[in-house]
Amino acid sequence: MDKVVDLYLNNPATKKKWQNFLLKMGITDFGLREIAAIDHTLALIDENGQLVGTGSIANNVLKYIAVCNQDAVPGARFNQMVTALQHYLFDQKIFHSFVFTKAKYATSFSHLGFSELAHTEHAAFLESGTPDINDFIAAIPKIEDQFNKQVAAIVMNANPFTLGHRKLVQLASQENDLVYVFVVATDLSLFKTKERMQLVKSGTSDLKNVLVVSGGDYMVSQSTFPAYFLKSSADLITTQTDIDALVFKNFIAPQLAIKRRYLGTEPFSRTTNFYNQSLTNKLSPLVDVRIVNRFQINGKVITATRVRQLIKEDNLTAISNFVPPQTMQFIYRQKEVLQARIKEGININGN
Amino acid sequence: MEIKTIGVAGTLESSDIQIMISKGTNGIQIDLDSEVIKAYGDQIKEVIITTLKKYGVQNAKVKATDKGALDCVIAARTLTAVQRATETSDQPKLEVL
Repeated sequence: MDKVVDLYLNNPATKKKWQNFLLKMGITDFGLREIAAIDHTLALIDENGQLVGTGSIANNVLKYIAVCNQDAVPGARFNQMVTALQHYLFDQKIFHSFVFTKAKYATSFSHLGFSELAHTEHAAFLESGTPDINDFIAAIPKIEDQFNKQVAAIVMNANPFTLGHRKLVQLASQENDLVYVFVVATDLSLFKTKERMQLVKSGTSDLKNVLVVSGGDYMVSQSTFPAYFLKSSADLITTQTDIDALVFKNFIAPQLAIKRRYLGTEPFSRTTNFYNQSLTNKLSPLVDVRIVNRFQINGKVITATRVRQLIKEDNLTAISNFVPPQTMQFIYRQKEVLQARIKEGININGN
Repeated sequence: MEIKTIGVAGTLESSDIQIMISKGTNGIQIDLDSEVIKAYGDQIKEVIITTLKKYGVQNAKVKATDKGALDCVIAARTLTAVQRATETSDQPKLEVL
């Protein structure tokens, strides 16, 4: 019987063995950031002490899973490995997990109770456990007769909520019966998720047909779209943005009757540019994608990146041109906290 | 008996079943995944429901991934999962089996 053991990749010899095994199994991508994101690695050892399988956990995502089926019942080692990874998560009270995998392995996971959220030509994205995407959508507030209304959606990180965001929401609010503003849930930005959520809510509270909700694990989250938060290669970004767009198309849009999605043009961020392209390609014609030009003030486009830069430079007067009063008050009150976070090294140049 | 948290028991290995129980509001809802669902789906659900009812659970969401488990295994895994979900693992009611 094979045994499950812990692997500690900070030991160079162990890491070498692990890497050689994965290479033999056809996994070749060992990006530094991918490896650094791993929280824990498990391995399967056969009776002779040989490494015959491995799998890793990063947050709630299963990664680097490979098993050798030689001299074993087909599937047995894979099932044992995935069980062991899930039990590791259960021990930490994580009952909901994701896996990104090559499209051809999607069925192996669906045999283990994973359900597919999206797939492209090369990759598939599946989830397992509870609460799942249907629970997530069920918990989102809805209005009466929603399926006969014109419903639109905007997804934003709002780090922080600027006049540019405000104008985009306002435009959508005028052109539709209901607008969902999904705020990115991953907490990796200068403004904490709670703060961003609060600023979007207070900044749009006068628009009665706008509902501000969390994007959860399903819209630009660290699990599904890590490239949004880390600089990544073009191929990787395209795969991830395609998957993110498809989850929106397969589940979010049809179940909430969303027929339009608003995007801001992105003159600066390469990743967001890729994302806009993916959304346009994958969502139309089912969802009408409207790309709106960035709003300008005195010939300068408004970006949250600029606002973060000004906070760092302690130039609060200049910020007031770019943000609504609620965001401004918050920045005044929390200036020291925000500047301390920047000093501690939080990235303010990304998204 | 009230479901307080999420409880899991069992594995995804052959002859076993993994049961995940969480809060529900609308009776006992079972989402079953099994290779033998056509032949044994109803019976598997029946065993899960009976075990939960005996434990005094009226409302719960159950996700079950079956790998060909026998009834006694299904009942045992369900019992362990519900004990974890109701946080009563320290006072096992084995007579439920």
